[in-house]
Amino acid sequence: MATQDVSPHIPNEHAELSLLDRVWQNGRGIFGWLSVTTHHAIGMRYIVTAFVMLLLGGIEALLVRIQLAHSNNTFLGPDRYNEIFTTHGTTMMFLFAVPVMEGMAIYLVPMMCGTRNVAFPRLNAFGYWLYLGGCLFLYWGVFTNAAPDMGWFAYPPLSGPQFTPGKRTDIWAQMITFTEVSALCVATELIATIFKMRAPRMSLNRIPLFVWSILVQSFMTIFAMPAIVIASSYLLSDRTVATHFVNPAEGGDPILYQHVFWFFGHPEVYIIFIPALGFVSAIVTAHSRRAIVGYPAMVLSLIANGFIAFGLWVHHMFATGLPQIGEAYFTASSMMIAVTSGIQIFCWLATLWSGKVRLTTALHFVYGFLVIFVLGGLTGVVLASVPLDLQVHDTFFVVAHFHYVLIGGALFPLFGALYHWYPKMTGRMMSERLGKINFWFLFIGFNLTFFPMHILGLHGMPRRVYTYGPEMGWDNLNLLATIGAFIIAIGGILFLVNVFWSRRHGRIAGNNPWEADSLEWAAASPPKNYNFEFLPVATSRYPLWVAPESEPASLSKAKTQPDRAVVTGLRNDRREVLVTTLMDAEPHHRYVLPGSSIWPFITAICVSIGFIGSVFNPWYIISGSIISGLALLGWFWPRKLLELEP
Amino acid sequence: MKRLWFALAALAYSAAAQQQSALNPAGPQSGRIAGLWWFFFYLLGAIFIIVMLIMLRTLMRGHRNAEENQPLENHERAQTRETRLRSIVTVSSVVTVVLLFILLVASISIGKANADLGASGKPMIIQVIGNQWWWQFSYLNDDPSQVLTTANEIHIPIGKTVLIQGQSNDVIHSFWVPNLHGKRDLIPSRVTTEYIRADRPGIYRGQCAEFCGLQHAHMAFYIVAEPEDKFKAWMQAQLQPAVAPATPALAQGQQNFLNYACVYCHQIRGTTASGTNGPDLTHFGSRRTIAAGTLPNTPGNLGGWIVNPQSIKPGNHMATIAVKPDDLQPMIQYLESLK
Amino acid sequence: MELAPKTLDVSHLEPFDISSQAPLWWGQVLIACIEGTMFCLLIAAFLYTRLRVDVWPLPGDQFPHLTLPTLALIPLILSAVGSFIASEGAKRNDRSRMIFGLTLNLVLAAIFFAMRIVEWHSLNFNWKADIQGSYVWAFLGLHSFDVVGDLVFTLVLIFCVVSGRYGEKQRLGVHVDSVVWYFLVAIWIPIYLAIYWGPKLLESQ
Ligand code: HEA
Ligand code: HEA
Ligand code: HEC
Ligand code: CUA
Ligand SMILES: [Cu+2]
Repeated sequence: MATQDVSPHIPNEHAELSLLDRVWQNGRGIFGWLSVTTHHAIGMRYIVTAFVMLLLGGIEALLVRIQLAHSNNTFLGPDRYNEIFTTHGTTMMFLFAVPVMEGMAIYLVPMMCGTRNVAFPRLNAFGYWLYLGGCLFLYWGVFTNAAPDMGWFAYPPLSGPQFTPGKRTDIWAQMITFTEVSALCVATELIATIFKMRAPRMSLNRIPLFVWSILVQSFMTIFAMPAIVIASSYLLSDRTVATHFVNPAEGGDPILYQHVFWFFGHPEVYIIFIPALGFVSAIVTAHSRRAIVGYPAMVLSLIANGFIAFGLWVHHMFATGLPQIGEAYFTASSMMIAVTSGIQIFCWLATLWSGKVRLTTALHFVYGFLVIFVLGGLTGVVLASVPLDLQVHDTFFVVAHFHYVLIGGALFPLFGALYHWYPKMTGRMMSERLGKINFWFLFIGFNLTFFPMHILGLHGMPRRVYTYGPEMGWDNLNLLATIGAFIIAIGGILFLVNVFWSRRHGRIAGNNPWEADSLEWAAASPPKNYNFEFLPVATSRYPLWVAPESEPASLSKAKTQPDRAVVTGLRNDRREVLVTTLMDAEPHHRYVLPGSSIWPFITAICVSIGFIGSVFNPWYIISGSIISGLALLGWFWPRKLLELEP
Repeated sequence: MKRLWFALAALAYSAAAQQQSALNPAGPQSGRIAGLWWFFFYLLGAIFIIVMLIMLRTLMRGHRNAEENQPLENHERAQTRETRLRSIVTVSSVVTVVLLFILLVASISIGKANADLGASGKPMIIQVIGNQWWWQFSYLNDDPSQVLTTANEIHIPIGKTVLIQGQSNDVIHSFWVPNLHGKRDLIPSRVTTEYIRADRPGIYRGQCAEFCGLQHAHMAFYIVAEPEDKFKAWMQAQLQPAVAPATPALAQGQQNFLNYACVYCHQIRGTTASGTNGPDLTHFGSRRTIAAGTLPNTPGNLGGWIVNPQSIKPGNHMATIAVKPDDLQPMIQYLESLK
Repeated sequence: MELAPKTLDVSHLEPFDISSQAPLWWGQVLIACIEGTMFCLLIAAFLYTRLRVDVWPLPGDQFPHLTLPTLALIPLILSAVGSFIASEGAKRNDRSRMIFGLTLNLVLAAIFFAMRIVEWHSLNFNWKADIQGSYVWAFLGLHSFDVVGDLVFTLVLIFCVVSGRYGEKQRLGVHVDSVVWYFLVAIWIPIYLAIYWGPKLLESQ
């Protein structure tokens, strides 16, 4: 399918536009709000909800830090402390970090792919409602004195019916079910979108690196989440219907739970981290105004990262005692992942080295990421060594490692990404001055908080202790960490201030304030519900930059391209998009997306009744399935039949 | 601000004073691990510094590139620069692989050396059973009369290899004495093992390292490493049943102990108290701490503990027994006399 | 270099497609991947558990019987033919073929399911008995849940096609339904081997 050299025949441009506006309009009122299926709205809901969770998780972190500020502190008792650190870890991992990445992906991927919505818009809405259900369920537990208290990986037998009676663990396990179903919905629809709905001619070697990272992340979700489905069902069924999956007294095995959990848990941390790599690539490209060095190497290491991540879960279990050959294998595979991470770091450095760097706030966060993540990655290599891990496992050294990689490796890129894409999302720029102050607070506060933890760990401070004696000599470093945590909190407040202030007073952004390369910058800021009046054609890997058609080796001078090739001939009187082929993205057929619908919401309510009820009475599994089935029937009921004529 | 400097100064100081530190080794295994740590530390530190220096250079260079604002470069020059950058990335990646290989070999060989510690000779076997939130230790022996069961504190002879045989009665715990070796989990329905050896006399603190519920923070123990002859003497003393009360007051104390519910949970060999839900108290007076490292073992602390264990270690599994004030003093004296 | 405005006209393309090019087909395949991974992990966990003990079945349990579940494989595998016919019918918009295929699928699957219920009923242990009970019941329960769900869906599709309330979407639904059913048939075979044969073959002397 060749593009033709004729100017687009656009009959009565304004009539067409208002037709698109009308067809893609969201409903009004509360009912309309509940029926929304456009990806910006859903993505934004994910992001906002996730930030509320970050706030709650952050407040919990501050409580933890206050309790640990000095020895024999009695600010929180052991029970409260255990609830709070568990809720902190759970919130941050399941309700903040994964969903926020999903939200960003839902928001950006359709635009970057040059299409109008995700492949299954109603599934998308359904996924969001379930995620929200999970948040509400967990925090309902927190506020009714039923917060989980057995750590974010809930090892049995401690999490079993014998040692934690009550509903705390059940709420945790069922909250997992909510988020895992939601994550699976998102992964499915994003893969389908990326595979089948890319702009014409966006062949595999032209996919933006962020979209690649989301593709890899979604596949990891697909293959990792089933393991946590099993792990949480083990717990739940052992606790509610007296099965014996992990009950050592009846032939079950607690170590099996650990294997299953970490088979999920390790990929999980890369599910959080890999989209962040995508953010960094996008920011580096746009703000150093040059093509990324080694695009194929970047793509291959993303994919390799995804694969290797499934082969090293046992490094979380070295202390359970493994055969030596197993130790050697899992050390080797854990270290291998340093190679793929290293390649990406080197490629970014090479890009920055030769680019025309513009030191924006977004790029500040990328530099912050480089410092913190490299250090955290290197301590990861320390942990991968079995003899060293036996010493520092379950100490604050590990706590330091994973905050370095989670906050440095995922949160800093996320902040950078928000500074980068905020103009797209709102139409206004964020304040750069406040942004840089924001950055320095976070950067200094972060290192003050978490660097001392390495030393604490080496000096024998175990994690998850609610207090310690003065004779241990851990007081000063802990105090330092607590002070740091409050500096981070100030940084967080500054960020929020910037977001709200810029919403009203920020400079008007225009479509492409950074002169960036990828297709989302071709849409209006903020984007229309349908993203593009005419779907774009991806004429190169950097479609908004002027470039020769053969992939350019260097694009050191980036100039945004005013007249781009576009798709015509889609019907605007219904939500039509273009389906393209997997490899070369040649147009294949047209596809009508469903519009707004209340059914995802209703179905989510029915499913939630089943999930929540089953914590209290197993029969809810049956009745929940039945009402959910009925709701699905309503969802899929053939109402308006598709007309046959094209 | 002053406290901040204080804290920074403490960084340097605190390394030495640690009684529970991986960097203050007292045995061959922790020694090797500490060596491995410093090897990793210097090598990875060097990598970190190099990467950071390059990063800082990009800050300056990238800025300069932007400033210069050259016109579009010619395609060929760009092409050669691109190739050069790519080969630098390739070379760095190869160097990464090589360095990682070195680290891998180093850590595998240290791991193997540590595991081989018990390969020669017949080690002394100590069975460790984790309980929420205290430790039971048994010195195993083919001769049943030589089997010693005690709690929360053990002695080992220096220079002798000890096999730790770990089990758990309830949830997963982890046996860890950083000055001697890394940790090993104690898992219900399994037996895990680890060899340790102390080469330097001393008192080493260990702490449970796997989250095990409410009082995970207060599940510590002590290992006293001492020369062989001192150890033998200690062992002989511990194998004896509890000393008979020497004074009427102590006899009264014993009687009180036996009269209260204490006997359902605690054993004192040589008396009728034979419970096993709590730590063995036969030689309680010889121990350094009360309740798995929670309090120093002083009569005052002991009184506090007996009267209200839940206020000291909330959630622990010792029942609160209403001991009459008059009965308490003799009981404390008696327990403290059990050397 | 200036690029002239270009357009790519797509108005001649089909407005829908019933094949593996449809996004929905991909969605369904991905869901099969999710469930398949889950079942495979569960099978691995089951065999791991089996290998940890010397005696199996645990004292008091019998082995599940072999005859009926083995016979039940016949209607199950044949029912996939029904799905195939239906999906071919859907592609060609051949109503009678769709009805025939779907009904064949439904009937054979129902026979299979009835045989499973009978066999299930004859087990002398439940999920609370011990670890074998927990796993066998979990496998049967999860797979049955999926099977029942798909049967209901098939029933709805039959209703749509028979009543004439169908268009491309429903035809695509028939096609995709066949993907689901192939998956449920295919995944049952390893589960069958695992519950009925695996523990036997892994007998430790
Ligand atoms: C974003 C999340 C994230 C990321 C990216 C990583 C990255 C890595 N992690 Fe981490 N990890 C966690 C999140 C993450 N981790 C969490 C949450 C836990 C704890 C869970 C819990 O217990 O609660 C954990 C725990 C954890 C453990 C278990 C510790 C224990 O409990 O005892 C181990 C052990 O091997 C480990 C290893 C690694 C390694 C080798 C990497 C590597 O991928 C790092 C690779 C990167 C680099 C090495 C830096 C860049 C490379 C170069 C500059 C090249 C040159 C380098 C060399 C030559 C070495 N991690
Ligand atoms: C993405 C994941 C993530 C993030 C971002 C964080 C962020 C933080 N974490 Fe977290 N942490 C985990 C994941 C994460 N953590 C996990 C998985 C565990 C293990 C749990 C377990 O063992 O089970 C853990 C455990 C953990 C511990 C160990 C507890 C223990 O073992 O006993 C500690 C202790 O200091 C800690 C501290 C902090 C601090 C100070 C922050 C700070 O960075 C937080 C700063 C953020 C805010 C403060 C919110 C933002 C602020 C605003 C928006 C302003 C408004 C708010 C206020 C003014 C209050 N965390
Ligand atoms: C319900 C069982 C139970 C009863 C009754 C009980 N204890 Fe205990 N005791 C325990 C447990 C369990 C521990 C360990 C607590 C811990 O460290 O978590 C313990 C610990 C102790 C210790 C500290 C032992 C050590 O090695 O650190 C002493 C001393 C003690 N108990 C004395 C007593 C006395 C005296 C009484 C009677 C007045 C008594 N106990 C009654 C269960 C009991
Ligand atoms: Cu025992 Cu922690
Ligand atoms: Cu890991």
